[in-house]
Amino acid sequence: MSFAEYAKRNSLGIAGIAVLVAGAAIAAVAMDLPFWEIVTIGFVERSLQAATPIALTAIGGLYAEKSGVFNIGVEGFMIFGAATAATMMWIISGGSPGQSDVWLAILASVLVSLVFAVLFAVLLIRYEADQIVAGLALWFIGLGFGPFMAVLVWESRNSPSLESINDLTVPVLADIPVLGPIFFDTSPLVMVTAVLAVAAWKFLNDTKYGYWIQAAGENPEALDTAGIDVTRVRYAAVIFSGVMAGLGGAVLLAQAGSFTGTGETMVGGRGWIGIVAYLFGNYNPIGAAVAALVFGGLDMLQIQLQTVGINVPNRLVNLFPYAGVILVLTVWGSTQTPSAVGEPYESEE
Amino acid sequence: MLRASVVERLAIATASTALALLIGVTIVAAAGYDPVQFLVSLINGAVGGESAIARTLRFSTLFILTGVAVAVAFRAGVFNIGVQGQFVVGGIATVMSIIWTAPLLPEGTVGGAGLILIGFVAGTFAGGVYGALPGALKAYADANVIITTIMLNFIATGVVGWLVQNPFRGEGNAAPNTERIPEYVSFPSVVFDSSGFSVIGLAIALATVAVIYVVMERSRFGYDMVTSGYQESAATYSGVSAKRTVVLTMTLSGMVAGIAGAVFAVMIQGYYTDPSGIGTYGFDAIAVSLLAANNPLGIVPAGLLFGGLESAGSHIGIYTDVPVQLIDGVIGLVILFVAVPELFRMAAVRTGLGGDR
Repeated sequence: MSFAEYAKRNSLGIAGIAVLVAGAAIAAVAMDLPFWEIVTIGFVERSLQAATPIALTAIGGLYAEKSGVFNIGVEGFMIFGAATAATMMWIISGGSPGQSDVWLAILASVLVSLVFAVLFAVLLIRYEADQIVAGLALWFIGLGFGPFMAVLVWESRNSPSLESINDLTVPVLADIPVLGPIFFDTSPLVMVTAVLAVAAWKFLNDTKYGYWIQAAGENPEALDTAGIDVTRVRYAAVIFSGVMAGLGGAVLLAQAGSFTGTGETMVGGRGWIGIVAYLFGNYNPIGAAVAALVFGGLDMLQIQLQTVGINVPNRLVNLFPYAGVILVLTVWGSTQTPSAVGEPYESEE
Repeated sequence: MLRASVVERLAIATASTALALLIGVTIVAAAGYDPVQFLVSLINGAVGGESAIARTLRFSTLFILTGVAVAVAFRAGVFNIGVQGQFVVGGIATVMSIIWTAPLLPEGTVGGAGLILIGFVAGTFAGGVYGALPGALKAYADANVIITTIMLNFIATGVVGWLVQNPFRGEGNAAPNTERIPEYVSFPSVVFDSSGFSVIGLAIALATVAVIYVVMERSRFGYDMVTSGYQESAATYSGVSAKRTVVLTMTLSGMVAGIAGAVFAVMIQGYYTDPSGIGTYGFDAIAVSLLAANNPLGIVPAGLLFGGLESAGSHIGIYTDVPVQLIDGVIGLVILFVAVPELFRMAAVRTGLGGDR
């Protein structure tokens, strides 16, 4: 797909981002804000890190929806991913985690998410669960059992300070001005996410498996007629989405370095924001990652405002991403949902 | 969604709850606690003695109200996940309107009744407006209600949390709380001599159920709501504006959530505090409503059941070392199983209990 074609198809999304950016710029000029003191290299770096869990979750979620299953349980998967990574890191290391334990914890969390994702996929596909209600249920189960795991291990909803992932400094490349510190002297998970986003986009648009996924959501009868098992395609996509959201939660934990289980837990709606990110990105993995970056930036704005001496209460600045989501959905509400989303498919044989 | 006969619904609700509890008990045992003791304290916490029953009814009152709020919307096919936020906004509106108008009215029972009325009107209004907002966003900008209402929950918690910390904080309060509402602004204790529960509160909940039942099942508006939820084109042909119906449905749902917030403020709390710590009635209400198949009358037994669970949860939190978060997880499992009637239908067919295939 050429860029012009892409821009044409996603004109609304691009217009939405343009409106947001222009709005921010006008506000900055009108209020006489020192723009370059707010948008610093550190800010971009922090925004990218904040965006990674959202982007990973969004990429998984859009695969499921493309295949015709609306997985709104991703928030729950993220909570399980984060809680599992935290407890695993603690257990594997015997209480004093190091860098290798962080990676092992992420891996363990992905495997556990895989098990949950398979169970969830069976309920959704084999037993035709109501996708919205079951997805919500998963969120509540996460809100209960995530902190429950923390209480079992630490007798508190919050973990003590664990290990967070170190920045990876790529020699030579890290010395490039601006791009160096942003991409080559940061959490390696940022790079991993960027590569995954591009790979997910290529896979969806340029491989036959990608076409199967899209056909399962748009025209399952045709796919069935072509001799491909719609159910198996959907299983694969839903399981992938659960694993990606679990990975998103684990990455969130690896960057934060400790688990918070009070209130809506440390995940705090990032799974829901992930869903909006892929709607905003118009079901394009790269678009979803860019949209995640917008929300990551809103999330990190607080530190920037403080450094330039604008004292908006933390409690209110923390609400920017949520307000941003509502704004995005309002300005750019209707999405091109795949036509067979939400309908169980039964082969006639 | 989830269509089934009344008997089937009852069977599914019972089976869902039983299966969820079974999994809960298994987890308790796997985590190394005594499952029998857990079950005993579960029952004791719900119905063991007058204070336990009063506590159960206190929670039930809130679950019935928030459950009806959810049912109004779900019945009309509008996924209002924002009852928690509407509940919070209604609650703070009740408390502040009472605090602000208290100096204008005489002290004592008459003034107290007047203030309660003012508080309820303010709470209902605020909840309604906060519900109408995502309704309007859906109707006129096609913004997904599930997501906007979840975001509005976060925003309500954040903004009200900031308000009680700063401008609305009572003078000299160390904790981030508003002032207390005057002593005489409370429901009289009838039957139960409990500080946090009054039969009046339960009566308000049951009256709301009755009103909503009549509106939903016996009025033109209720008919339009349900048809436009399930058969938008049919409703449109018969001259019903789908947009207007969505906004009205969300407003009505938010108003009921606002009443729940007012009952919470007047009967239980007596002041307002950071909403991140007041309980998740608006979320659990989703389970209550689904368990009742979104039927206003079914909300009453479902609300009683959840009141019992919540009450048992607080008992377990005090008297055992089993983490209370377990109860939240079990509630999630109940919702999950309610969403999968097919699971039970297939199980019933396999075991020869009934059903057809």
